[in-house]
Amino acid sequence: MNAIVLPNRRIEDWKYSDLRNAVDESAVAAAPTAAWTMASVEGAADIADLPAIMPRGEHGAMAELAIAAAKAGPYVRVAKGERAAVHLHLVEGGHGRALIVVEDGASLVLRETVRAADFANIAVEIVIGKGARLDHVRHAPQHDTVQLADYAVQVADGGQYCAQLMNFGSKLARTELHVVLEGEHAEAVIGGAAVLSGTRHSDVTIHVDHAVGNSKSRQSFRYVAGGHSRAIYQGKVTVRQRADGSDSMQTAKGILLGERAEIDLKPELEILADDVKCAHGAAVGDLDADSLFYLRSRGVPESEARSLLIRAFLEDAVTGIEDEKIRSEIWSAVEAALPAAMEPAP
Amino acid sequence: MLEIKNLHVAVGGKEILKGLTLAISAGEVHAIMGPNGSGKSTLSYVLAGREGYEITGGAITYRGENLAELSPEKRSAKGIFLAMQYPVEIPGVTTLTFLKTALNAQRRARNEPELDALAVLKLVRSKAASLNVPEEMLKRALNFGFSGGEKKKLEILQMALFEPALAILDETDSGLDIDALKLVADGVNRLRSPERAMLVITHYQRLLNFIVPDRVHVMAGGRIVAKGGKELALELEAKGYGHWTKDAA
Ligand SMILES: Nc1ncnc2c1ncn2[C@@H]1O[C@H](COP(=O)(O)OP(=O)(O)OP(=O)(O)O)[C@@H](O)[C@H]1O
Ligand SMILES: [Mg+2]
Repeated sequence: MNAIVLPNRRIEDWKYSDLRNAVDESAVAAAPTAAWTMASVEGAADIADLPAIMPRGEHGAMAELAIAAAKAGPYVRVAKGERAAVHLHLVEGGHGRALIVVEDGASLVLRETVRAADFANIAVEIVIGKGARLDHVRHAPQHDTVQLADYAVQVADGGQYCAQLMNFGSKLARTELHVVLEGEHAEAVIGGAAVLSGTRHSDVTIHVDHAVGNSKSRQSFRYVAGGHSRAIYQGKVTVRQRADGSDSMQTAKGILLGERAEIDLKPELEILADDVKCAHGAAVGDLDADSLFYLRSRGVPESEARSLLIRAFLEDAVTGIEDEKIRSEIWSAVEAALPAAMEPAP
Repeated sequence: MLEIKNLHVAVGGKEILKGLTLAISAGEVHAIMGPNGSGKSTLSYVLAGREGYEITGGAITYRGENLAELSPEKRSAKGIFLAMQYPVEIPGVTTLTFLKTALNAQRRARNEPELDALAVLKLVRSKAASLNVPEEMLKRALNFGFSGGEKKKLEILQMALFEPALAILDETDSGLDIDALKLVADGVNRLRSPERAMLVITHYQRLLNFIVPDRVHVMAGGRIVAKGGKELALELEAKGYGHWTKDAA
């Protein structure tokens, strides 16, 4: 591999995630091909190796590197009108590639977990056919490494992409979603949460492109940052010229639990069409003092009151997960991560 | 039971209570009336232990203890309950869950055994029925989207559930329809006992027809400017506060 240049904080898009500071260029260059296992496959999913000719969506800078370096990867396909559930588990880090195709009228519940205890940089192509649906739940547990994942998602007419990104932070963790709503009535519903403690970092960077009209996107994120941690949401929505009737909404909210924690929320709109319905909002704050007092005045001890309010805040982020089993698993992970996030800074 | 002596309280650096003195014995119901901005809610918050209310002078003694040293949750466990003028909306926390959490937290703090979910449900149901609070309301998020009157009813439901030794009702009657007012008054009267005391803050003499007070205090400019029996409320209703506020100024 040629000499590589890692993105750093002087590049606007990587301002909050200085990759050059977090990992050695030589380590990135030397990283092997990442490995996944199919932890479970239910229903009619075809699992194969990547085809010679791959669809290519829009990606970020690091994904290009993964695409160039990864030698192999899984290809999950759900044929027309079929239904399936697949659990992909990243077991070894490195540069990785994967392809997910949900054909017309098909549906897939894709659950993704990450065990990689070393550097990971994956690029995933997702193709959602007409009237097809993908429920994508990505659960990134706490790590102390650099974790990069970049998804290019194409959604055809009437297709639905529902993503839930649950982040518990890493030394540097960045998830990029590049979603193109290519057909009328295509929909992207993207949500998630981050619960961070210590010095962990989590960056979610999203671009939703309303390429045609009458498409719809929703983004909703809830962050809780304790200790010295840092949570980032950068979400951009583009509505192309003539993509009239597009409807988009972005909300991101953060609660700072640590005095030295930081949450950066940057929703952004780029509207080139005339007749659109777009809204966005972002707010970072402390726990609401009035609510806290109300609960305490009814006898609920401070720590319990805080935890009750934080849970209520985060619960909103997981109600979007339709699969009950996955939802309860994710919720357990949230509960497990909360005590550390709520710990007063040392 | 409660003794407030020459209390001075500042909020955001501004003195709001300016030498307030008031004593309530067990078994008594006291009413406080007074113009807007006279410091009634400030007093109620100080008694409940809200942050940002700085006691700059005087003392509050509750059952022989210095109240200022106790956290809001400790005060609650020791029997102080404030029905707030503006109950807080808390989305995401179910009302019933909250009631169970609060009740058991108080019991735990008093070394009493906690109640299981079913026992709490039974208890809440019976209190809710007596206040005409529909069960559907208990499944909703705490105070969230509740009407003004519904919020006040939920405050009284909590009072009935927690059975506090000292209940402070801050304008609980404001915003209640006449039937609800009677239900709330019944709830309060049911709780009256020789061991308990109540402090009822109101703008309307009407409430005091239902909850007959032992003493009525007039508050103006951050202190008590007059006191008397229940007939004082009638006199206030007839004459307004003009006379007292002139005195205070
Ligand atoms: N945080 C604050 N900073 C400055 N002044 C405050 C603050 N909170 C309350 N005050 C002032 O303190 C005074 C007393 O307010 P309080 O709410 O106690 O009055 P009240 O007697 O309950 O009035 P009402 O009958 O309208 O409920 C008011 O002038 C109010 O503006
Ligand atoms: Mg008031």
